[in-house]
Amino acid sequence: MSYQEKRTIVTVLTGILILAAYCIYAFGKVNAGIESVEDLKFWAFAMLLFIGVGVVANIIIQIVFHILLSIGIAIKEQIQNGSVNDDEIEKTLELEMVEDEMDKLIGLKSMRLGFAVAGIGFVSGLVALMMDYSPALMMNIIFISFNVGSILEGIAQIYYYRKGVNHG
Amino acid sequence: MAKKIEIKNNIRTLRFFANEMTQQQLAEKAGASRQTIVAVEAGKYAPSLELAFRIAEAFGVSIGEVFSYEVKE
Repeated sequence: MSYQEKRTIVTVLTGILILAAYCIYAFGKVNAGIESVEDLKFWAFAMLLFIGVGVVANIIIQIVFHILLSIGIAIKEQIQNGSVNDDEIEKTLELEMVEDEMDKLIGLKSMRLGFAVAGIGFVSGLVALMMDYSPALMMNIIFISFNVGSILEGIAQIYYYRKGVNHG
Repeated sequence: MAKKIEIKNNIRTLRFFANEMTQQQLAEKAGASRQTIVAVEAGKYAPSLELAFRIAEAFGVSIGEVFSYEVKE
């Protein structure tokens, strides 16, 4: 499995964890009666909080991932050559992290799916509001669809890395 | 409507005759990632014209010796 695939899997898993954490936190509070469903300030706070948590978690998880990747390369080298060389590890990492035209094409194609899901969510949110549903529902539909879009974007990337990608 | 074409390549054979050049070595020479070379070699990705020329240059042959195509019915 290539570096890009591994990194994408880590990103998708982080996205799923963040979305699950948001649902448990926000809907848990509402179900427990601590917060009102109609309290838009609470929803705005929860969403802003989880946007922040998502950014920080992504940074931390990527750092941990790169550390683990380096350890993995070092172990592989130790087994193959009987010794570990820092320069070799750095060179292997650099070679693994090369991003070229195929990565860009896969990124663009999967981003299209992510935007489509987010767009559908945005329109659904507006439709829900038009149909006299609560504004909190609209906010949640939009927020969750953006998150789901980002997760699906990652899944599409993994799919394209596995199955191949064509121009056009 | 234009007929579909399938891009084929001889990268595996050329690597063999280039002293069993590894995919990583080819990737370095062509300025691409190993993942891309693996995908091109397996026919899962048709490279851009630029990368195709760079792969041919890495083997010191013309682009036609690396890539060919087949018209699909």
